[in-house]
Amino acid sequence: MDNQLIFAALLPERAPWFILGPLLGALTATFFLAMNQPLGASGAYTQTLNFLRRNGYRVIWRIWYFIGMALGGVIVTQFLQDSRGFRSGFDAFRAASPLWLVIPLIFIGSVLIGYGAKVAGGCTSGHGICGIAQRSKSSIVATCTFMSSAIIATGAIRLISGGKL
Amino acid sequence: MNSRRMNFFGLFFGAGFGGILAAGTLHEYDTIHAMLRLDEFYVYGFMGSGIIVATAALWIFEKKQTTTLIGSEIKLQRSKPQTNHIKGAAVFGTGWAIAGTCPAPALVMLASGGILASIAITGIFLGIHLASKRGDLEFGDGEHHQVTSSFSN
Repeated sequence: MDNQLIFAALLPERAPWFILGPLLGALTATFFLAMNQPLGASGAYTQTLNFLRRNGYRVIWRIWYFIGMALGGVIVTQFLQDSRGFRSGFDAFRAASPLWLVIPLIFIGSVLIGYGAKVAGGCTSGHGICGIAQRSKSSIVATCTFMSSAIIATGAIRLISGGKL
Repeated sequence: MNSRRMNFFGLFFGAGFGGILAAGTLHEYDTIHAMLRLDEFYVYGFMGSGIIVATAALWIFEKKQTTTLIGSEIKLQRSKPQTNHIKGAAVFGTGWAIAGTCPAPALVMLASGGILASIAITGIFLGIHLASKRGDLEFGDGEHHQVTSSFSN
């Protein structure tokens, strides 16, 4: 058997944005057509957290949505792309800083992500895509705010790291 | 719609969303960081074209008063900006810049074998937990409550 043929990647390392972006837009709209609900990732985290600690308001399909996101990631990266197996991730971050600094920074950054998304009522998917697509003013304001704060913070990180990040 | 079917839709659309992110390497720190450094147009093109298609489609559905699969007429939710939207988004953006990932990409990164993403996912859960202790959050569980009542869950 020709191994090359079996393991040939179906997808390139990165498919063009002008295919994936419209596909994501179509997925969001189709989901509305089915469920009349927005597809937000931070909402799925909240529901999963409520489920895990057995408390609060729970919407079970959003937990399946949470599992689905991981499943889609597994299918594409492990079976359709040429990127199988384990690795650490955060390549550019690790190339610029030692691991003892990278790990706590990822953790602190992620706590801010979770806290901010919960307070703002959504993240990049919920406000950025679903919210703007519904022409909701609060989502437009939230998206403009997190885009600018992220670009400013990245500029600050670039200065602090001496241009390494 | 029964709950088994809803769960299937959740899984199916989640897999579609996670798969699209993975196909565009949006789960990689390097992609997000390059976008926020304004080095690369890719993610702006990705999000921009996604928003345009979704906005146009939802606008048409709303105009035609399309009936959804769960039986009710399509209902979009528009809310007025409150200070929490701005405060939360400013904190979120800062975290996004530091960790170079956000909730969905972190999950996909772990699914792609990136083990450090488990730290990010733990952090996001902790952040959501800490924020849910605030007493002033009227929104933030991802649901449109005015249409949830029509669910046979």
